Amino acid sequence: MMSKDFDVVVIGAGAIGTSVAYHLCEAGYHTALLERGDIASGSSSHCDAVALICDKLPGIDTKMGQASIDYFGELAAKFEYDFEYDPKGCLYICETEPEFEAASEYCKKQNADGYKLRMVDQAELCQMEPHIAKDLRGALYTPPSGSIAVSPYKLCFAFVHEAAKLGLETYTYCDITKINLHPKTNAVESLETNYGTIRTKRIVNCAGAWAPFVGKLTGLNIPIEPRKGTNLVSEQTERLCFHKILEYGYMMSKFDSINFKRNVSPLVEEQNIAFNLEYTPSNNLLVGGNRLFRSYDIRSEVETLKAICERAMRFYPELADIKCIRAYSGVRPFVVDHLPIVSDVDSIPGYYIAAGHEGDGICFSPITGRFMTQIISSKETDFDISKLDFARFAS
Amino acid sequence: MSTKFSDDMIVCRCEEVTVADIKNAIREGAKDIVGVKRRTRAGMGLCQGRTCEKLVQQILVSELSITPKDAGTSSARPPVRPVTFGELAKGEVE
Repeated sequence: MMSKDFDVVVIGAGAIGTSVAYHLCEAGYHTALLERGDIASGSSSHCDAVALICDKLPGIDTKMGQASIDYFGELAAKFEYDFEYDPKGCLYICETEPEFEAASEYCKKQNADGYKLRMVDQAELCQMEPHIAKDLRGALYTPPSGSIAVSPYKLCFAFVHEAAKLGLETYTYCDITKINLHPKTNAVESLETNYGTIRTKRIVNCAGAWAPFVGKLTGLNIPIEPRKGTNLVSEQTERLCFHKILEYGYMMSKFDSINFKRNVSPLVEEQNIAFNLEYTPSNNLLVGGNRLFRSYDIRSEVETLKAICERAMRFYPELADIKCIRAYSGVRPFVVDHLPIVSDVDSIPGYYIAAGHEGDGICFSPITGRFMTQIISSKETDFDISKLDFARFAS
Repeated sequence: MSTKFSDDMIVCRCEEVTVADIKNAIREGAKDIVGVKRRTRAGMGLCQGRTCEKLVQQILVSELSITPKDAGTSSARPPVRPVTFGELAKGEVE
């Protein structure tokens, strides 16, 4: 059993926790990373691989996305560990005229903020994607500068690998039984674990969909809920698509505030399916997806699989003859206002939270690590992130 | 058991993963079948580990002195065998 001292203890070794741990080590903090299972064993190995600006709302959401995507390029050049950084453009497919109009509006707003998105018509879409259905209205195109792919679990391994060179100590299969606070000041003092007592004045809760359980150890109510998503994996194939492909309806499934009705079957509707497709460096296709609330149950549901296939073949008919080798689901850490929590906690000095990124955890991973390190160092963050403050849930 | 295997022997034929790759993943912290899989792609191919899983398990057992049960299995996910997206759309998952 050990009894150790660290400047900071990071809890959770997914895309957020590993990035936070890396950035803290880079800033010179003696850091420990504690993980209940293996590295990248939760949401970061049960998701897809893209980081986009075009699935974000205009404003801070997009600004953080772009900053993080730019930063990914720097990290890919700097890191020894290859996390399969692949800048590829994204096409947001508009099936019908109303979708094309809604996407055009969105495109205008993003253009006004300086982001280089543009609309493509049917002819250009068919040229860019030779295997796509020929009767679609068009698409919103995001160039590789705003749309990249990375391997989400390799990203976690990469951060741990690089941080280890800077002194990070990682404890996997670690159970935290207690977090001790100072009886008078309520400040963080130590953690009790199966590895012994770990003394620290600062902890960062990066446990994603499981952050509420870590929160409960100190009586904190962290309003994050698990939201299930499902993807299918194809056999290795000739390249069917050449961009990240999403249907505009994805926006609808992500943000329930966007309101329009698609011409889809009751099954697709009830399963909340939004088609997305991407090729991977191993030449498998990832086909998705949907969002459903099912607590922490990540078993695959046959009705979901049927609905995803039905919707996918609407856009890429040739999928009908390609084989599916696996289906998997995972939970995303959902927050009701669709913004993550990247913040200190007023009631517990030394307690920080970086969690609740829902489907943006991979995209926001690098920038979140940087922000959290700036917050802990009492430095000004790169830009105003007061909207991500935990205090917004105080009332 | 794995002492009988040479380091350049291919364990996962679908993804061409060798004994040495698996031992290396174990050194990097993999403690079970899924941990090896994420670090090497062993079991991620067309056969989904049907051929290599038992071999990976044996290497884990031998390298870490654990039981086969501790080495675990990969998570069972549908479909049971590869089926086309067309078949799957009709609910044919078995």
